[in-house]
Amino acid sequence: MAYQLYRNTTLGNSLQESLDELIQTQQITPQLALQVLLQFDKAINTALANRVRNRVNFRGSLNTYRFCDNVWTFVLNDVEFREVTDLVKVDKVKIVACDGKRHTEYK
Amino acid sequence: MDQNNSIPAFQGLASPQGAMTPGVPIFSPMMPYGSGLTPQPVQNTNSLSILEEQQRQQQQQQAQQANAGLPGTSGQTPQLYHSQTVAGSTTTALPGNTPLYNTPLTPMTPITPATPASESSGIVPQLQNIVSTVNLGCKLDLKTIALRARNAEYNPKRFAAVIMRIREPRTTALIFSSGKMVCTGAKSEEQSRLAARKYARVVQKLGFPAKFLDFKIQNMVGSCDVKFPIRLEGLVLTHQQFSSYEPELFPGLIYRMIKPRIVLLIFVSGKVVLTGAKVRAEIYEAFENIYPILKGFRKTT
Repeated sequence: MAYQLYRNTTLGNSLQESLDELIQTQQITPQLALQVLLQFDKAINTALANRVRNRVNFRGSLNTYRFCDNVWTFVLNDVEFREVTDLVKVDKVKIVACDGKRHTEYK
Repeated sequence: MDQNNSIPAFQGLASPQGAMTPGVPIFSPMMPYGSGLTPQPVQNTNSLSILEEQQRQQQQQQAQQANAGLPGTSGQTPQLYHSQTVAGSTTTALPGNTPLYNTPLTPMTPITPATPASESSGIVPQLQNIVSTVNLGCKLDLKTIALRARNAEYNPKRFAAVIMRIREPRTTALIFSSGKMVCTGAKSEEQSRLAARKYARVVQKLGFPAKFLDFKIQNMVGSCDVKFPIRLEGLVLTHQQFSSYEPELFPGLIYRMIKPRIVLLIFVSGKVVLTGAKVRAEIYEAFENIYPILKGFRKTT
């Protein structure tokens, strides 16, 4: 049971929309869609943990922070995301972060 | 007339010395009607109404002076600072310390004789931290507060309170499920009270019936610099009942003053930290007490 954190990403949302379409056209059951999403959770978590090597730095000013249920939520303003190759600037970014090393599962 | 820069904190209080009118325990030339708490010479006709109005005027004047943010120089009455802000929990503030006007009826009786020898240091400790508590008067659901309020942390496995921060005044609050709250980090009594009120308003806006009960300042920390190096070894030898100095443990000498009950951290550089005060006057008094002692242990090399 991995974090379901990544379901609300571009990739995760596309998957959920596709699964909803298949359910509408009766090609799969909702139970199967749920299993697909659980498998997606496992896959994305292990992929990010093991197959991602690049590093991005970011710097901005902290607007708000929250820590509840072991989940950090930050809102930063005027942020610069810096990778070796390029630089991206944004006015506002919301960061939701779960613990990398965890003892119990959280949804 | 008696202003030679010593703290006139006890001016007009219980110093019968020099009082020329017998039978009047508190008499000051600058208080024509007195504080209203002690029997007065028979000068007033409508005593009740005048006294009440005078008390009100004095409280307003104290309010104005407190709000004008008078600097805490040692030549001023330190009690004014908290007499307005802390309702009902002040220990020393008496109305009537503020002189209204001099009348020809009152003889100019000196109350505080000119203190010989020691002058004031001219250094005023600056307040660095104030810790206060308040009771919001209702049970709180910490998870709701942590989820809905901004700038809040809640980790019940580590600590059973929500840690919330605000930027103005820059403070941190610990909010407990019982409804009690601790507010730390403010630089003045008024700021501490204001910050506590802001936290209470945040909690109130989240839907809890928050009140503001029993606000009390629990601790005040001040610091200052005497501007000369100090022989801590000498100090601990002569004042060993009050001092503890373990340079291998901590580089500062810990001086536990009995009156007022303040703990001072004294460092070789001449910097002094004072803590344990419930009111600003205790910090000032403690520093005025320690300054001549420190001067006696000034490093000459």
